[in-house]
Amino acid sequence: MSYISIRHLTKSFTFRDGTQLTVLKDVNCEIQKGEVISIIGPSGTGKSTLLRAMNMLEPPTSGEIWVDGENITAKGYPLDKMRRKMGMVFQSFNLFDHMTVLENIIYAPMELLHIPADEAKAEAMELLKKVGMAQKADVYPSSLSGGQKQRVAIARSLAMHPEVILFDEPTSALDPTMVGEVLSVMRQLAQSGLTMLIVTHEMRFARDVSTRIFFMNEGVIYEDGTPEQIFGHPVHSATKAFVNRIHKLVYDIDSDDFDFLNIHTGINRFCIKYNITDKIEPANALVREMLFERMRQYRPVTIRLTHAELTGVTALDIMVEHLNLSPLTDADRQALQPNVKELIEEPTTRGFRMKMIL
Amino acid sequence: MKKLLALIGATLLLAACSGGVEDFREPKSEADLSGLTLATSNGTYYQIMYSRREDVELYVANIETDAIQAVRQGKADVYVSDEVLLPDEDQKRLGMKMAFRGQECFDVAFAVKKGNTELLEQLNAFLATAPLHDITDHWIHGAPYVDEPPYEINPDAKPLRCVTGANIFPISILCDGGEWRGIDPDILRRFAHAQGRPFEMSFQDLGAAIIGLETGQADIVSANLLVTEERAKSVDFSIPYYQCHPGYFVVDRSAGGRLSLRERLHMNLVVENRWRLITDGLAVTIIITLCSILLGSLLGVGVCVCRRSKRNWLRKSADIYSDFINGIPTLVLLLIMFYVVFATSGLSATVVAVITFSLCFASSSGAIFDNAIASVPQGQTEAGLSLGFTPYKTFTGIVFPQAVCKGINLYIGECIALLKNTSIVGYIAIQDITRASDLIRSRTFDALIPLLIVTVIYFLLAWLLRRLLLLIIKKDAR
Repeated sequence: MSYISIRHLTKSFTFRDGTQLTVLKDVNCEIQKGEVISIIGPSGTGKSTLLRAMNMLEPPTSGEIWVDGENITAKGYPLDKMRRKMGMVFQSFNLFDHMTVLENIIYAPMELLHIPADEAKAEAMELLKKVGMAQKADVYPSSLSGGQKQRVAIARSLAMHPEVILFDEPTSALDPTMVGEVLSVMRQLAQSGLTMLIVTHEMRFARDVSTRIFFMNEGVIYEDGTPEQIFGHPVHSATKAFVNRIHKLVYDIDSDDFDFLNIHTGINRFCIKYNITDKIEPANALVREMLFERMRQYRPVTIRLTHAELTGVTALDIMVEHLNLSPLTDADRQALQPNVKELIEEPTTRGFRMKMIL
Repeated sequence: MKKLLALIGATLLLAACSGGVEDFREPKSEADLSGLTLATSNGTYYQIMYSRREDVELYVANIETDAIQAVRQGKADVYVSDEVLLPDEDQKRLGMKMAFRGQECFDVAFAVKKGNTELLEQLNAFLATAPLHDITDHWIHGAPYVDEPPYEINPDAKPLRCVTGANIFPISILCDGGEWRGIDPDILRRFAHAQGRPFEMSFQDLGAAIIGLETGQADIVSANLLVTEERAKSVDFSIPYYQCHPGYFVVDRSAGGRLSLRERLHMNLVVENRWRLITDGLAVTIIITLCSILLGSLLGVGVCVCRRSKRNWLRKSADIYSDFINGIPTLVLLLIMFYVVFATSGLSATVVAVITFSLCFASSSGAIFDNAIASVPQGQTEAGLSLGFTPYKTFTGIVFPQAVCKGINLYIGECIALLKNTSIVGYIAIQDITRASDLIRSRTFDALIPLLIVTVIYFLLAWLLRRLLLLIIKKDAR
């Protein structure tokens, strides 16, 4: 029998103005003891909500969650008992600011498991050593860096000897220089055989450490498999785009009085977001050149900026419908030359495409 | 401490600089008053009389002491009052003299609730036969005091509750030990005792005293009340027990030097054991403040629970409650509570004050508690829950200690504001420390020293209260 079983789980939020947002739509899965599962997927697809539903921080709208053979969604179920077996590590660390590092760790074992103070302290020091924070035992969390806080939070969770630990984007709030120290602690935990569920955007980590991957999209577990299956041979196109990390920006232009400044801003944002600021200049120059000069008489036109994070390739596609010959002259190609690494002109099923690799 | 000393120094300097008026022609009759500023106190007959004369400017002070002070400081030229209120001795001490005695002669009587004919007839019958001259001669001319006959008093009988609107010699003064003496109380005490009833007296503004008469909190109001037609419309007057002339007083330029600071301190604190008014008032202030903080904080927890409730109607009612309390000045609320809500309840004024201040404090402390709890990030609660704490234990062990740290300063500030706010309880006849200074002022006609003393006491009280609360809360939060 599986350790955690999720059956027909849905979760929707109702806002004050009466609108409803469904975040989870009929999620089903079985989780065995000892599994290390990474939950990946685009933002806003319910990854965190699913994780938070598992320890009932986010009570589901319908469906059932069974943990260790018990229905924790049943009314009146003693959630505090269940949560002692299911630790959680938060994106924002949530250390208790009014307690020292050591007090943070021993508080729950002493209060809930009634472990004597000296015993709890000894164990806490062991855990702190394990996460490399022993010499900070007596400081307050406010003087720690983000990475240090997160390592303490992991130790705090471990002090309750949980069967499972849920990690809710544990490195998302961290400075890039501190991600490594937290991931290495988690790697170490994964090897110790602890059951872990990790919502993460760290693809390499997910691929290396997990025994299983959930790809979530649009409120369901879209694809569920081993890292090899998900990253090597994804079945669905959404999975493919996500694991290859291909990002798109699309504009349809059907008349001459389109909002060029809006496109300009969109391109800037896109390049800043994916850290390809060196492409801002050429992309804008090409769009301006093509729309106002070379392709002036062709409407409607679709322009698409794509960036594949894995390969680092950025491309600007310009597509014209109902056209099977290239609209470009040699002079045009000459003019585009300085900004384009490679120009591919090809007819498609719907028209003609010019792919410019930046 | 340095700041405090600087404050005292500045106040003394101001007081020393005041005074010094240019010469003016001393009035010898009512006609001479033209063009002068006339000081009187609020609610007197002179206020009404001279507000009709367009050539005279009026300076209306709240109490007689302040009116006299206005003339001494040159804010007004002439102080008008019942002649007996400023005897020769006091005139000399204050550097004043009577310019002339008014032509009119007024009847002075007691007021009872309109329509209370039974009490009125008893009072009139008593006044018609009582040796009133013995009493007035003693207080005005210093004749030997004639003891009252040995009446038989039933201690269980309903006491005769009298309110005086004048705390001034020789009308009625509060003596050492809390006993009221003077013309009015001595007559009324005999009347009460003649009826076999115990006698009670308290001091309020005349306006408030008249309201007390209507709402049944007082049986008789006395304040050297001149019988006028206007007044007779709202109260019933007894037969007159005395006749008085108005006196017009001016600064006596030939008078000698001022009193030294040492003499003034002696006069304000030592004579007639006046320091006991201050210590008694201090106890009252402390009791009202501490009780209100305690009760108000308990209610505040309730307000906070309502504000944080999931139930809409509970949140709404907490909002309405806060808006209601915040929208009414504390003094007005206090008067409403005393004269309307608890008028017939028989609760003592102190209890009503504690209830009122608690209601106000509940509103503000409830908001402080709510904000303090809301300022603890939701993540702290989630971390506690996810470790396996119950929601209750998460709150008490994790959220509450952090909320205390965040809210403590605002809370203590609110407590000190409450302490200072209690200075208005004098309006419902409670003798707190502010009222004690008023009482001393109206006996000694010295504005500075009593005010200075209560200033220092309030300052020290606030400082002590802050220390005390910090000690208690820090200990509790651990």
